[in-house]
Amino acid sequence: MSDKLLFDRIDEPGLDTIEVYMRRGGYESLKRALRMTPEEVLQNLLDSGLRGRGGAGFAMGKKVSFLPRGAMDKYLVCNADESEPGTFKDRELMQKSPHMLVEGMIIAAYAAGANRSFIYIRGEYELQAMKLEAAIHEAREAGFLGEDILGSGHSQTLVLHRGAGAYICGEETGLLDSLEGKRGNPRLKPPFPANQGLYQGPTLINNVETLATVPHIIKMGGTEYAKLGVDNSAGTKLISISGNVQRPGNYEIELGMKSRDIVYGLAGGPEPGREIKFWFPGGSSSPVLTPEDLELPYDFDSMAKAGSMLGSGAIIVVDDSNSVVDVALTLAKFYRHESCGKCTPCREGTNWTVKMLQRIHEGDATPMDLDIIASVQDQIMGNCLCVLGDAMAMPLSSMVAKFRGEFEQYIEEKRAAAGFGEMPEPSPIAIAGAA
Amino acid sequence: MPRPERRFVTFSIDGREVSAPEGVMLVDGAKYGDVEIPVFCYEPKLGAPVGACRMCLVEVEGIPKLQTACSTPVKDGMVVHTQTDRVREAQNSVIEFLLVNHPLDCPVCDKGGECPLQDITFGWGRGISRMVEPKRHFKKPLELSPLIAIDRERCILCYRCVRFSQEVSEDYQLVLNERGASTYVGTFDGHPYVAPFSGNIIELCPVGALTSRAYRFRARPWDIEGAGSVCTHCPAQCNVEFTVRDERVLRVLARDNEGVDDGWLCDKGRFAYQAIHSEERITEPLVRDSESGELVPATWEYALDVAAAALQAGGSKTAALAGGTTTNEEGFLLQRVVREALKSPHVDSRAGLPQVDLGLQQALAAPGLQATIPDLEFAHTVLVLGTDPIDDVASLDLRIRKGVRRNGVKLAVATSRPSALDPNAKLWLRYAPGGEHAFVAALEAAVTGSGDLSALCDAADADPKALEALAALLKDGGEDVVILWSQRLGAAPLPALLNVAAALRLEGRDGAGLIEVPVGGNGRGLREAGVQSNGGPGLSAPKAPGKPAREIAAALASGDLSTLWLLHADPVRDYADRRLWERAAANADALVAHATLLNDTLREHATVVFPAESYAEKEGTIVNLDGRVQRLRVAIGRPGAVRAEWQVIADLSKRLGLDLGVLTGPMATRQLVEAVPFYAGLTLKEIGGRGVRWQEREAASAAPAAPAGPVESGEPLPAPRPNGALRLGTYRPIWAAPEVEVSPALKFLAAKQQAELSPVDAERLGVDNGAKVSVTAGDATVLAKVFVRGNVPAGTVFLAEATAEQSATELLGEAPQLVSVEPYGQRPPVPLEGLARGARPSDDEVNS
Ligand SMILES: Cc1cc2nc3c(=O)[nH]c(=O)nc-3n(C[C@H](O)[C@H](O)[C@H](O)COP(=O)(O)O)c2cc1C
Ligand code: SF4
Ligand code: SF4
Ligand code: FES
Repeated sequence: MSDKLLFDRIDEPGLDTIEVYMRRGGYESLKRALRMTPEEVLQNLLDSGLRGRGGAGFAMGKKVSFLPRGAMDKYLVCNADESEPGTFKDRELMQKSPHMLVEGMIIAAYAAGANRSFIYIRGEYELQAMKLEAAIHEAREAGFLGEDILGSGHSQTLVLHRGAGAYICGEETGLLDSLEGKRGNPRLKPPFPANQGLYQGPTLINNVETLATVPHIIKMGGTEYAKLGVDNSAGTKLISISGNVQRPGNYEIELGMKSRDIVYGLAGGPEPGREIKFWFPGGSSSPVLTPEDLELPYDFDSMAKAGSMLGSGAIIVVDDSNSVVDVALTLAKFYRHESCGKCTPCREGTNWTVKMLQRIHEGDATPMDLDIIASVQDQIMGNCLCVLGDAMAMPLSSMVAKFRGEFEQYIEEKRAAAGFGEMPEPSPIAIAGAA
Repeated sequence: MPRPERRFVTFSIDGREVSAPEGVMLVDGAKYGDVEIPVFCYEPKLGAPVGACRMCLVEVEGIPKLQTACSTPVKDGMVVHTQTDRVREAQNSVIEFLLVNHPLDCPVCDKGGECPLQDITFGWGRGISRMVEPKRHFKKPLELSPLIAIDRERCILCYRCVRFSQEVSEDYQLVLNERGASTYVGTFDGHPYVAPFSGNIIELCPVGALTSRAYRFRARPWDIEGAGSVCTHCPAQCNVEFTVRDERVLRVLARDNEGVDDGWLCDKGRFAYQAIHSEERITEPLVRDSESGELVPATWEYALDVAAAALQAGGSKTAALAGGTTTNEEGFLLQRVVREALKSPHVDSRAGLPQVDLGLQQALAAPGLQATIPDLEFAHTVLVLGTDPIDDVASLDLRIRKGVRRNGVKLAVATSRPSALDPNAKLWLRYAPGGEHAFVAALEAAVTGSGDLSALCDAADADPKALEALAALLKDGGEDVVILWSQRLGAAPLPALLNVAAALRLEGRDGAGLIEVPVGGNGRGLREAGVQSNGGPGLSAPKAPGKPAREIAAALASGDLSTLWLLHADPVRDYADRRLWERAAANADALVAHATLLNDTLREHATVVFPAESYAEKEGTIVNLDGRVQRLRVAIGRPGAVRAEWQVIADLSKRLGLDLGVLTGPMATRQLVEAVPFYAGLTLKEIGGRGVRWQEREAASAAPAAPAGPVESGEPLPAPRPNGALRLGTYRPIWAAPEVEVSPALKFLAAKQQAELSPVDAERLGVDNGAKVSVTAGDATVLAKVFVRGNVPAGTVFLAEATAEQSATELLGEAPQLVSVEPYGQRPPVPLEGLARGARPSDDEVNS
């Protein structure tokens, strides 16, 4: 057996058809799962130690167990919005092996007692949507979807829904509102989707990769799967590597692999003569790490300990040919553009941050502005309705903290070039009598 | 849904032990310990919290992140901090962020001085600004609608207005466009936000982003005073606060009364105050000059003398009608003068609707059978019978929607005309206009299981299956059933209605019962004050029964009665059978009126017109639908020579030889209270600012004993069969009122006649939306524009009553009507013969 699970012979022609997929043993896990009770399936998920692959890393089995038991309308939603910059693993998986996701969803729905399921896929993924539609059709024709699947008594519908291009619709409650036909704004939590999700019903939401891993867990058995990877980071992980590396792309690794082996070993490191300046270990929302941190094993806990996060498993490498200011501005612009605007700190904080970075870029700033930028990030963090605001604040604050010298130098050079000359003594506009 | 019980829990806030009802949000719970937590987006009237503004962040021990106090329910033992550095830092942050894009044009902003953003910035902000970048810019201000201006730069995106539109009024027009910092409030395609309750968003807006176009730049908060009173524009009687500057009402705000209006106003209530200061307002007595035949200004003495002489001459052949804003006191005094001084029994306030047997009235008004307005929100089932609240009692529309949306009230709507509440109803039923009696009798049959349901349904042109479903819903959907029924149903269906209430055992059940929607702002109060032909004060039997309004008209037209006395009543416009009333007014020897505005009838026929007080100038009491006695208070001085109405009536009375013994307004109230046994002991003080339901006072036991047991309901006549013609159904739109027509802000909404047709009939007639049609009954014709409405039943046309022109009352006779509808103006020329008889009105008479 190859050491890959999800990407095992992923490029085999025709894998997107049910024929090839089944010839390779596809849907055997489903049959196996349907011979178990839902509780047994759930136990396997709990045993596997699988943590969500969408960003938050919440234990999948535990999430399933949060759904109330008993007969009621329950839902399973697959989050295929994949809009986090640097993240493109779900795309390849859905395109090349759509049945793996479909199979995983049927098993997960069976465990959760959900009879209606949806895939919410980002609008730009047209090819992937077509592949999935075809796969769903084939699965239905084969009797894996519909009424009384394989005589198990479990019935399930699966509907593919295409989004309209909003990052915030990847946030699970924003996704649910969008799926219901409303403006895609995050909801207040609690209630959590497990209790009141889609159409107010209990809802399980998982990432594509999380769900596509489920057939493998059933095939291997939960405890066997848990042996892969390292403590608290079980299994394999799809990694998207992009930025200044020679071989960007998706790789499947066993969690706990040394970061350097991923960045240099698999992706070939930066172009010769270039040095890595910093890297995002888990998508553009993760605080940046320095080259020294490449010695760390790549797993949930190690990344957290280093002050960042594994997130969606997207590594973005930035080498010394780039200015940290440019990266910061590009990033801030993305989050400003994608903020839904519902809550104040994110809406105004992202917008203000961009304006300040733009001033730096135009040579109309002073180092004091860095303090304001840093303070604005602090004011965003933890105060928003969802974590999109934090998703900008975290990396930005790490950049300002770790590369303050470069920021200051940039400011001075730009000032000089723009002819602003000597730096005036900074003084905030004070209101008389205010503290 | 019976009201949830409230248990108290104890929690700690800023080191203090506080006890608050379980489940309330921390923001409200904190108030029990006198702690204020600032909020912007939180407004419980709008439904569940959204947690958008983040102003209310507080620290809750045991939870790492700060929590929004607007969405965190208090729990036993919870430990909350609102004064820590962390919390202060978060509050400072949110204020700073809100001001990033807020223009700070306070000096020219209407909201300045009464602005939550100013107040909270002062109280919880850092006091410095670190923002030097340009703010976002929008074109401003823009018309969101003819009533509301929007300044998008000032908007702090708190979602309140949008939530109101989406979740309270359910007009679904306001949305947030774009996203992030580019988000802005508007309608989806930029059409004006016109909806019956739109003005509420002005009050909801915590900044000056939404302002009243009628109030813009008229005053600053330090120039104005607030005066609490009650709106009399419809029977909902919402509580209001008049904004007064220099003896002028400049604005009307809601004065949240849970028992009445739940804090909302309709746009009529909010903007029709402009009629008070209309150029057309009558401010001095007018007397018809015998030489010129014109109404000319006169002194009070002269006008009173002329009017008294006219009434004296009329004597027992005088009839008096009261309506509109007439208070209980005015009505009470009026009937005293008519009955005691003129010895005439003819006094009425029922807008020309059929007279209801007094015993039946007493039974329907039995205290134990009355539901309260808030019951609409908590009942298991609400049946709306024969009324569309949006037109007849506006703010209750919102109350009913709230019950359905928030408390799962099961709503049934039974009307002849499609209702605005149909989409919210579990069940909606239709019957033919004229089939009211048969329909309610069928309901009785379905509920009691006796009687011939199918024959009755046939007579009502209603669906027996739907009636059975309704009966099942009423019987098995939970005991708390509230029936909101309209006086417009007429008299015949009421015994059956009483029997339905008896069968459902509504009497004596808290949270269940009947609520009547009267016609006219104080319809209930006037009847209780004795202003009806067959009822004296306190629903007592009068010494001698008089003629109801319709018979008064006939008697005036025929000369059996000679004199007409009108108190805020305009029968020609408002009552059925316009042409009979026109003849009555023309034929009367004398017509004495108290009015705020002139109309054609007064202009042509009045002998004396007394300038009447507007509702903002009056003192007195009125009675809400559920028996809540409310108090009108003087907000502004009377303009010109206007005098208090009670005083004018008393002066007239004196000239007629009867001293009413009333020297002040409160004396009139005292007399009324003494005359109505079930008001006994009631004082203005007790009524106060919130009103009191008389049924909840001890004196309620003095209400006339209602006859027990089922009542004979009589054989209903079948609704007329269309047979090629169409049935005529009518309604009075909320916008069909003179106060709308003379209010500059509201004028654009004034109701124009339209013929609501089913698609089937429209197609048969070959007409489409906007086409002109003539609607004819006998020799009367009304011209209207076609409005094709999908859910109008085939075979029926609906027309509006009381429109300024082409009112359907032209066509309404005594019996239910069949009419013929013809395309107008596109047909081959009318034969000469027809023209000679003058059957067709000229083209310009058609509303444009
Ligand atoms: C702004 C934002 C965007 C997100 N986008 C995605 C996404 O595109 N795909 C995804 O799987 N999860 C995304 N998430 C995470 C989801 O909210 C949720 O945690 C995840 O779908 C749960 O699935 P998992 O437990 O399988 O990881 C996003 C979260 C935020 C706050
Ligand atoms: S944090 Fe941003 S994206 Fe999330 S709710 Fe607030 S405004 Fe919307
Ligand atoms: S217009 Fe006013 S009420 Fe509406 S979102 Fe903006 S600030 Fe809130
Ligand atoms: S008041 Fe709590 S978030 Fe707005």
